[in-house]
Amino acid sequence: MSRGLLGCTLLAAALSCTCAASSAIAQVPGADQVQAVTLANGMQVIVWPDHDIPNIALFNWVHVGSRNEVPGITGLAHFFEHMMFNGTTTRPQGEFDRVLEANGARNNAFTTNDVTVYQDWLPRAALEAVFEVEADRLRHLAFEPKVIESERGVVHSERRLRIEDSFVGRLQEQVQATAYLAHPYQIPTIGWPSDIASWRIEDLKTFFATNYAPNNCTLVLVGDIEPKSAIALARKYFEPIPAHSPPEPIRTQEPPQEGERRVSIAAEAQTPLLQFAYHALSGSDPRQPALELLTRILTDGDASRLHRVLVEDQKIAISADSYLDRGFDPGLAWFLLTLPAGGDAKQAEVAFDLEIARLRDGGVTAQELARARSQALADFWRGLATIDGKAQALGQYAVLQGGYQRLFEAPRAYESVTADDIRKLAADLLAPGNRTVGVLTAASTAPAQGEGR
Amino acid sequence: MNKIVATLLLFCSACVCAADNGVKVPQFERVQLGNGAVVLLMERHDVPLIAFTAVLRGGAVSDPTGESGVASLLAGVLQKGAGSRDAVQFAETVASVGGQIEAAASTESISVNGSFLARDQQLMVELLADMLQRPRLDLAQFDTLRARQIEFIRAAKESDLAALTPIYGEAYLFGGHPYGRSVDGSEASLAAIKHADLQQYYQQQVGADRLILAVAGDFKTSQLKQRISRAFSGWRKAGTALAPVPKAERVAKRRVLLIDAPESVQSYFWAGNVAVPKSDPRRPALDVTNTLFGGRFTSMLNTELRIRTGLSYSASSHFDRLLQTGHWALSSFTQTETTTQAIDLALATLDNLHKSGLEPTMVESGKSYVQGQFPLALETSGQWAAQLATLEFYGLGRDYIDNYSAQLAAVTPADAKKVIDEVFPSSSALTIVVVGNASAIREGLRKYGPIMEMKLADPSFEPKN
Repeated sequence: MSRGLLGCTLLAAALSCTCAASSAIAQVPGADQVQAVTLANGMQVIVWPDHDIPNIALFNWVHVGSRNEVPGITGLAHFFEHMMFNGTTTRPQGEFDRVLEANGARNNAFTTNDVTVYQDWLPRAALEAVFEVEADRLRHLAFEPKVIESERGVVHSERRLRIEDSFVGRLQEQVQATAYLAHPYQIPTIGWPSDIASWRIEDLKTFFATNYAPNNCTLVLVGDIEPKSAIALARKYFEPIPAHSPPEPIRTQEPPQEGERRVSIAAEAQTPLLQFAYHALSGSDPRQPALELLTRILTDGDASRLHRVLVEDQKIAISADSYLDRGFDPGLAWFLLTLPAGGDAKQAEVAFDLEIARLRDGGVTAQELARARSQALADFWRGLATIDGKAQALGQYAVLQGGYQRLFEAPRAYESVTADDIRKLAADLLAPGNRTVGVLTAASTAPAQGEGR
Repeated sequence: MNKIVATLLLFCSACVCAADNGVKVPQFERVQLGNGAVVLLMERHDVPLIAFTAVLRGGAVSDPTGESGVASLLAGVLQKGAGSRDAVQFAETVASVGGQIEAAASTESISVNGSFLARDQQLMVELLADMLQRPRLDLAQFDTLRARQIEFIRAAKESDLAALTPIYGEAYLFGGHPYGRSVDGSEASLAAIKHADLQQYYQQQVGADRLILAVAGDFKTSQLKQRISRAFSGWRKAGTALAPVPKAERVAKRRVLLIDAPESVQSYFWAGNVAVPKSDPRRPALDVTNTLFGGRFTSMLNTELRIRTGLSYSASSHFDRLLQTGHWALSSFTQTETTTQAIDLALATLDNLHKSGLEPTMVESGKSYVQGQFPLALETSGQWAAQLATLEFYGLGRDYIDNYSAQLAAVTPADAKKVIDEVFPSSSALTIVVVGNASAIREGLRKYGPIMEMKLADPSFEPKN
């Protein structure tokens, strides 16, 4: 957070009278200091100075995810998340991490359906060194067969951890694959095992050449740096990388769903799982804030509807959570129930359906809406309390939610959601015919295990 | 524009970040109430939020024997109704102002963490005071939470073995010592806990003399001090004195605990020994050495198990440092077929640390890394509240933060060598715990030492003797 009285005053104003503020941008302290430029090669650079601690978060948002894959190369976007640390034609494997860490910087990366994000957290003195190696790996990535084989093993291990050895992960993969018939959102980001085992070096080279163009990247810097110097460094290190033709747009649109789909896994499990995935909105859809408040009313905190009814009152679930996709294309609104050992999945589904019907028929109360708004607003400020949170939010809005300026309009957007907006959204999206239901049941155990607790 | 920037910079240099000399603890005030409660207040006016950490000494080490999980359940029930509000009203009140308030137990304490908008500070103090001094400890809420806690453990056994492995590890390493207790209990220990145990724990182990309340954020110290004093100075002390934690001895011989998870396609392993307490003066050298051995991406362990061989997605090591002592452990996982290959490599890497030590350039790199990452843990009001509470809890002065940077800078390869010899266990003195498909890996594990076995489905985290 930017420090000083200026920020404080602005923020206090934002909280006490968000509705009356004339300029939404001015509500977030320091928002007026954000600078964005597009380099000559098409790379976007966004800088938000914040001098609270002597550190900087530098995130490179590459606009490629599992959405850009096809059968045979599923998991490749995620594989690049690994390969980008494994050496270039100018630097051997491991050099990238060694340079960063010796300069006091830590890094990580993550991949989603839509994007691959490379994150560095560094002391400000390390900035130029980080720029140099970041630009190098975008331009000169190496494809060493031996390194690729070894990294394949790492990804297999990650898949076993997240999917094979996790019932939650296994069910989610099946639900997602079932929810989409046509759109590549059906592809699991980690990749299908047979593809992990068999993608070829040519596949990698093509994928890199297509997707890792500077004009397909958004670089976000937040922290102890002035925009002018950050942009100068971006020009020095990234601008020389030639633009290339950007990846083909994803043309396929998911056709409207025409009835409920179901998928089940019979496992040697004690704990049944239920997942509901409704086709919902893209990240830039103006109804996103309303959908977020809707899901908060259902699952955020002990006072939320699903938690109260399913977990506290009826005790037919031990947890009720939700998750919203916010990507380039319309994603899913997920509701995830974990049942007690031997729990009755049918009964839990009936109870869940009743709550959804109650929302569709009766809408939400003014009190519930106010509560969800307060929660969203407070979480918004908590998210902006660190340079890491700011870099995440800025990139998310810049790339996937209609431009970084929309981040600063979020408080206003929450304020303007009405109960009617939410009821309409529930009617549009939360219809049984618009969802995929995943059930993981205990194969052999159910009745006996349910007793005696 | 430039003017604004200049103003901000000026503010900056006046407060937290005397950047190149490392982070310093900003001004704060310490007050001790007549009943023993310690209150720590740090004003930070960057955003209109207030964060607090309330720490009650006790925690899982104060659980009755055989009933680990009492402190954890109490933490849960504290949130389920207090003062004039029942569970639903309490939750609604917190949510309606966008607040957060959450209690959890750890080995040596129960902590309540919260964050509220500055304008709600009066409500914040009221809710915290109610939670600590007037919890309802409702029987039905206790029953529900206990049943749910048991279910969470069962669910983790089916979806999160990596998280469970250290629980088995610490239980086996510390044996009957209280530092080995599973903080959140086990299926068996939770089943044995009664409502009366919870009430008794609350009477005996919770009270003003156990409380450290640290608050950081957008408030006026004088005003908040008054509010907190009013709300807490009438609180009773805990019914009993805090029992001292006995000494824990290092384990001298290597031994293996195998937990059979027949459905698992990977083996999750953990290997550790008793190490040092929080107050250990060798902290900078320990931090640098562990960073280089298993605390960052290019660490020796991750280089071997992930980068060079592709055996695992992740391999790391860490210290857990508590009041009396603590432990050090490494952990990783690999597919069932390569279990002994991966464990062999992890042990050989530890041997290599002892045999070859650390190159001076490596030590320098480790120092830069720890130094460079340190400020990121001291950024928000929530982090500062937690830090203040930690300093008070362990009796550490502000030097613990203020001088850390200089101490790191002074670490030499000889210091690293010394802590490797003195603190890092040799591979022949490790307690090894493996969760995996026993029928496939049992024979291979025999070479590491005597094997004790149990099943993942067993309701306890300790093997039956």
